[in-house]
Amino acid sequence: MNGPPAPRPLLHISGLSLSFGGLAAVQNFSLQLPPRGLYGLIGPNGAGKTTVFNLLTGIYAPDRGTIELEGVSLAARPPHRIAAAGIARTFQNIRLFGELSVVENVQLACALRSRQHLVATLLRTPAALARERAIQQRSLELLALFDLQGRAHEAAQGLPYGHQRKLEIVRALATEPKVLLLDEPAAGMNPQEKRELAATIRHIRDAFHVAILLIDHDMGLVMDVCEQITVLDHGETIASGPPEQIQNDPQVIEAYLGTGD
Amino acid sequence: MQSPSPPQVELSQVEREALALAVTESRCATCLRSGTPLLTGLALAAAVQVLVPRLAGDYAARICLDAGIAVILAVSLNIVNGLAGQFSLGHAGFLAVGGYTAGMISYYGSLWLWGSGGVHGGWFGAGQALFLVACLAGGGVGAAVGYLMGLPTLRLRGDYLAIVTLGFGEIIRVLFQQTQPVLRTAEQFRAAGWEQFVPPPVGGSLGFSGIPKYTNNFWVYAFVTITLIVAHRLKFSSAGRNLISIREDEVAALAMGVHVTRWKVRAFVIAAFFAGIAGGLFAHESGIILSPRDAGFQRSIELVIMVVLGGKGSISGVVLAAALLASLPELLRDFDQYRMIAYAVLLIGMMLVRPQGLFGSREVWDLWRRRPQPVVAGKGAA
Repeated sequence: MNGPPAPRPLLHISGLSLSFGGLAAVQNFSLQLPPRGLYGLIGPNGAGKTTVFNLLTGIYAPDRGTIELEGVSLAARPPHRIAAAGIARTFQNIRLFGELSVVENVQLACALRSRQHLVATLLRTPAALARERAIQQRSLELLALFDLQGRAHEAAQGLPYGHQRKLEIVRALATEPKVLLLDEPAAGMNPQEKRELAATIRHIRDAFHVAILLIDHDMGLVMDVCEQITVLDHGETIASGPPEQIQNDPQVIEAYLGTGD
Repeated sequence: MQSPSPPQVELSQVEREALALAVTESRCATCLRSGTPLLTGLALAAAVQVLVPRLAGDYAARICLDAGIAVILAVSLNIVNGLAGQFSLGHAGFLAVGGYTAGMISYYGSLWLWGSGGVHGGWFGAGQALFLVACLAGGGVGAAVGYLMGLPTLRLRGDYLAIVTLGFGEIIRVLFQQTQPVLRTAEQFRAAGWEQFVPPPVGGSLGFSGIPKYTNNFWVYAFVTITLIVAHRLKFSSAGRNLISIREDEVAALAMGVHVTRWKVRAFVIAAFFAGIAGGLFAHESGIILSPRDAGFQRSIELVIMVVLGGKGSISGVVLAAALLASLPELLRDFDQYRMIAYAVLLIGMMLVRPQGLFGSREVWDLWRRRPQPVVAGKGAA
């Protein structure tokens, strides 16, 4: 590698490990995500990719290792404080708030950046109302950017599958994250849709100034959009580098295709 | 993805303005922001107080009283069970805590101030003021107990929370059974040492008799109004979205930065506050002797039934269900000894026809809305 020196990492993960009983779900995982980086995390099913996301967002506490966002340690913080610090995620199995409307899903996330006292809400002070309106306006704008404004007032669970995936991304962006974690955003999509998704992901990175870490168990999308790829297998990092290098790595090929006997 | 998003960060000015218009028009709720609903509610409360006994008789007025108290209890429980989705089976515990607190304040307060435990003063007299303070104190103590109880237990989920809250109600019931006899006269009260107040002299399992009977339809419906305003403002605000997000998906709510435990406790405290006030109103209702049984399991179940029947999260549905179920046993008097069977049959029938409750999680005014509401069918397309 003889490119320009790597920028100071935004997200600095080192030596992250977690075991469930005797099973090592993630071992010694390290990653330096620069600002506006678009990195990928791949591996066969059960390799520990989603567990890494759960560690990064505080759902699980790591046994060992550190997570730092802009130099601030996030390990052992509860999930809502990690979200407030600037890490947002989508979920592999869509987790929208089904009975809330599309715009309310986004409003909920938007509210993270403008807190307000409960008493002010109950008294309906002018400031509280103005804030609610600002949140709704911002949410509708975000939806409009992703062509979802036409369905803003439908229940989220009534949306078609593709729209639900898109809404999850919008909702995550509404928390104004510094790092966006996308967990298999391409699941269930055909090749045409995947190409469009790749364009959307690049666009998000540029328009919202976020660093993105993307999970997929299928190589296609990740190879297409990511600058750097980390490959996990059985919780261990077996390779890490730019896509061309990963594509030809014998260990990666073995993990995906088996040893051939 | 239906269409690739154009590489665009901001909307044009025209688009923004169109959206802003949609924002200001979309919520009819904003017209409710001023004091109008409170004043309207108080006027209605006064009307119920004055008109119902004249037009429909004292018996109907009495049913109105019971229905109003049931509405306060059910709507407050709906904040916990319906909006936040936390299955609480101990709501009657807060009713009893509030009732006993308010009863003690007004009964022993009357003994101390006026030398007798009876009703004192006329309309808006000193007795009414003491009663109001007692009810608010009942709400306050209810909320405090709700906080103490909610903090450790709301980390539990589903069935476990239900069992713990059930246990809470039973503990309250047993604690009130272990109390001392009521002090009957001002002399007894003045002469009593501290050991006669620990545990408090509220009658044990015989019940707390002698509480002055201040409750009337005006006070009940004034508090119904306040409960409804708070519930409505809570539901249609970011606070309500936080609660609903916890009900819908706790993990996703956490990932979106919702402080899940804090909001659960808040819902619990608000609900306990209004249950405590309802307890105060109940304790001062004529013909009622507040007893430890009012903290019990059966009472809590009745309230849960009101919430489920009304539609979890639907304020108007729960109001209707509470009013209906509270007055149904009276309305079914014609069935004589079969009336509890008729009550049960009605419940089963309604659950078969409308398992999601009267209005689901929607409100009654949604039924008249122009915008077609999506029919909720199954769980998502995933």
